[in-house]
Amino acid sequence: MSGSGAGGDGAAAPRRRTVLLSGLAGAGAGVAAGVGGALAAERPAPSPDTRLAAGRASARAFRGTHQAGILEAPPAQAAFVAFDLHEQADGDAVRRLLTVWTDDIERLMAGRGTLTDLEPELAAVPASLTVTVGVGPRVVELAGAERPDWLAPLPAFPEIDALEDAWGEGDLLLQICAESPTTVAHAQRRLTTSVADLASVRWVQRGFREPFEGPGIPMRNLLGQVDGTVQPDVTGLDADLLWVGADGPAWLRGGSSVVVRRIGMRLDAWDRADRAARENAIGRRLDTGAPVTGGTLDSAADLEATDELGFHVIDDAAHMRRAHATAPHERFLRRPYSYDDGVEGGGMRTGLVFVAFQADPARQFVPVQRRLAQADLLNLWTVPVGSAVFAVLPGAGSGEVLGQAMFA
Amino acid sequence: MHTTTSSATRRVALAAAAAMLTIGLAGCGSTSSEEPTDAGSAGSSAPLTLQDGWVKAVDDVPSPTSTSMSSAMPSSSASGSAGMDGSMPMTAMFGTLHNDTGSDITVTAGSSPVAGMVQLHETVKTDSGSMQMQEKPGGFVVPAGGDYTLEPGGDHVMLMDLSAPLANGSQTSVTLTTSAGEVTVTVPVRTFTGAEESYAPAPSAS
Ligand code: HEM
Ligand SMILES: [Cu+2]
Repeated sequence: MSGSGAGGDGAAAPRRRTVLLSGLAGAGAGVAAGVGGALAAERPAPSPDTRLAAGRASARAFRGTHQAGILEAPPAQAAFVAFDLHEQADGDAVRRLLTVWTDDIERLMAGRGTLTDLEPELAAVPASLTVTVGVGPRVVELAGAERPDWLAPLPAFPEIDALEDAWGEGDLLLQICAESPTTVAHAQRRLTTSVADLASVRWVQRGFREPFEGPGIPMRNLLGQVDGTVQPDVTGLDADLLWVGADGPAWLRGGSSVVVRRIGMRLDAWDRADRAARENAIGRRLDTGAPVTGGTLDSAADLEATDELGFHVIDDAAHMRRAHATAPHERFLRRPYSYDDGVEGGGMRTGLVFVAFQADPARQFVPVQRRLAQADLLNLWTVPVGSAVFAVLPGAGSGEVLGQAMFA
Repeated sequence: MHTTTSSATRRVALAAAAAMLTIGLAGCGSTSSEEPTDAGSAGSSAPLTLQDGWVKAVDDVPSPTSTSMSSAMPSSSASGSAGMDGSMPMTAMFGTLHNDTGSDITVTAGSSPVAGMVQLHETVKTDSGSMQMQEKPGGFVVPAGGDYTLEPGGDHVMLMDLSAPLANGSQTSVTLTTSAGEVTVTVPVRTFTGAEESYAPAPSAS
């Protein structure tokens, strides 16, 4: 079913993960030691001094071909913030907003306060901070640039969608990620107030991952599953799946797109399912994350394997089978965060901020989402309540303002 | 011309400005002084540069009936006491002046294409304990090889009688007259909700 180009080729997965992780290691000495799994266990607990030094040394580069916050291994904390431009905003307002954000983000990622920051101490430990800027169709149109066809709401998936307006499309997106929740909160506040006369917050989705994540400690979502195992090789052969290339609008080359789906989890129902049912829903074991057809986390799943009764070992409606690429282009980089916003009258306040980066969501993401909407055992326990699509601006080169090519 | 400001505001602003001086580039673990910013610097060869300089945005110059939160530095709340002049649009420039030469440089005056009048201000405590802005006698003396901080609630370059709004994210320029010649800096304009001191010209000063 999968050629060597498809994402489900589990055998290639270890290399892919290593590529991503070593990319991270280059960014901070504190992380480099974690690359060899065994090393981590032998290392003595770091003294507070080295922790502080590591937090300070963890600044990630802001300028480059691509924006930061996509290829790096995701830090433990995140805020996704969607903004609406004010009613009277014009192209000049967009340009000025992006000018302010470019300067603010560059300073914050380097561990400095913004120009008007009265609390620069809160920025002093960058903690691997990345801030990634996305734009919606209105921004592109105000700037006078060509809107890619896919920069629009995803098609409806009536079988599963329970979308709430509160988590819908916006004019701008900030993805703010850092290892420190204080760093995230401060960056969010500064970037919100610095453009308060131009745009207002539409929604904020806070998320978290596993702080000890790394080799041997994978990301687990709040259903307890090892999540994010099968990924395209976006720093290698599959880079074209991630970055907009020559076939996209010129202003977006080196950029990408991001789909942010807020997916609630019915934990009360999940609690009633036994472990076999839970593993069956994905097609992977809960303990190791390995396919139920055997092997280890990084083993290829055997989608054809049958049991003694002739049924597929990996259920026909298992999430992994249904999500698996049926063509090489049906793949994207998943970079999700968990959320757990407390209990409220039995409603779902727990779930996954599902985040996918790809060059073209209509071509790459939608076919997979459509398959999952039609049949996916996971749908028994998950409900999409929010959905938004943004174009991810290319990186800013030296002296450039984010998104300046939109005005060319 | 004097401007009053609450001492609480001043304390906050001073503390912040002090901190800005001490944050180095955390990324390289050094504690050396800040890099000159791209936009605020007056070019590498200038004897005097402004680092991390910025001017507070002013939304509405002609109309004092703005609904915006970010009004000019002396907010329109002062209009009650300042009479006709209360809505006179003004703002201020902040940042760190750096003297790259071996001798002191004195800033004695300023001008800007967007301001009818530019003054060098300090903030002082009055007999009644409130804070007032007034022209700084003798101007700003930037020590040889050293820095001079302009900060909300402290010394600043006051841009008065503005002829146009200063929009967040735009730039403006200010020319400083100094003992080492004229220095023109291009500075980013930023929305800032602090420095909302009410403005009340003291009768004795006019
Ligand atoms: C709350 C919602 C979701 C949960 C809990 C979830 C969980 C998982 C888990 C545990 C795996 C297996 C391990 C891995 O490869 O990462 C997986 C795989 C995958 N999921 Fe999801 N997922 C969710 C939503 C989605 C959505 C909305 C999409 C896309 C439309 C998606 C696409 C994929 C893909 C492409 C794979 C890899 C399939 C392969 O093996 O080739 N998932 N997911
Ligand atoms: Cu003043």
